[in-house]
Amino acid sequence: MRSIEITAKSVEEALQEGIGQLGVRKNNVKVEVLSEASAGLFKIISQKPARVRLTVLKEPAVLLKSFLEEILQLMGLEGEVAVKEAEGLLYAEIYGRNLGILIGKRGNTLNALQYLCNVILSRNFYDQKRRVLLDVEHYRVRREKSLEQLAANMASKARRTNKEVVLEPMSPQERRIIHLALKNNKDVDTYSKGEEPYRKVVIVPRQN
Amino acid sequence: MKEIVEFIAKALVDYPEQVDVRLVEGERSVILELRVAPEDMGKIIGKQGRIAKAIRTVVNAAAVKENKRVMVEIIE
Repeated sequence: MRSIEITAKSVEEALQEGIGQLGVRKNNVKVEVLSEASAGLFKIISQKPARVRLTVLKEPAVLLKSFLEEILQLMGLEGEVAVKEAEGLLYAEIYGRNLGILIGKRGNTLNALQYLCNVILSRNFYDQKRRVLLDVEHYRVRREKSLEQLAANMASKARRTNKEVVLEPMSPQERRIIHLALKNNKDVDTYSKGEEPYRKVVIVPRQN
Repeated sequence: MKEIVEFIAKALVDYPEQVDVRLVEGERSVILELRVAPEDMGKIIGKQGRIAKAIRTVVNAAAVKENKRVMVEIIE
């Protein structure tokens, strides 16, 4: 666990300084006052500074795991939470049975929960921009496959009918999957139109 | 459901001790009144209400499980 000791004119000042150095929120540190400040006589001689030790209670991965476990419990669901850190990303995966309600219609609930995890982490750790990717029962992997399938089907429809095909509204990550899937398709081009959260991908047949 | 709103709200704000959720039960629906410190209002609503919307989405998922209609109201 990360821990630092800070010396300053007062306990409060040492606390502020330490929190700034650690880059964490106040309620996520354990504070031990090692020595109080004393003004000393005539304020000049023998002025003793305050010294505190600050220890981070929960690092990002731990905080994320305990947040999700608590959510599961409050929703009356049984599942396991696994958090991995890689390349500045935090991957949180939830495994269990009957977790469909955590995913919601087209991943609505999953995306809302992922967003909340991101906000909570960025508020608890000021200087870290670690993004959270949340998945439940490999939903995102399965969704990616079905989106790639959809892209291929709709591209051939666009080519066959020689008309634009407009897909349903999707999140930025989902649109990206469609664009990437058709990047090397010589028959069609893709672009997005509309405003979030109703932005959608359009597949345009190329006039060869 | 009350506990879920309370738990998420406390994780988001600067003054968790001032988070208060009251449950107003109707015949078929439930209203959860969420109150936070004035300084924390923005933290619970978010830009264009994005955080409030995410809280409602998660709470609605829990409500579906309990077969209820739930509304989360943020009260100033």
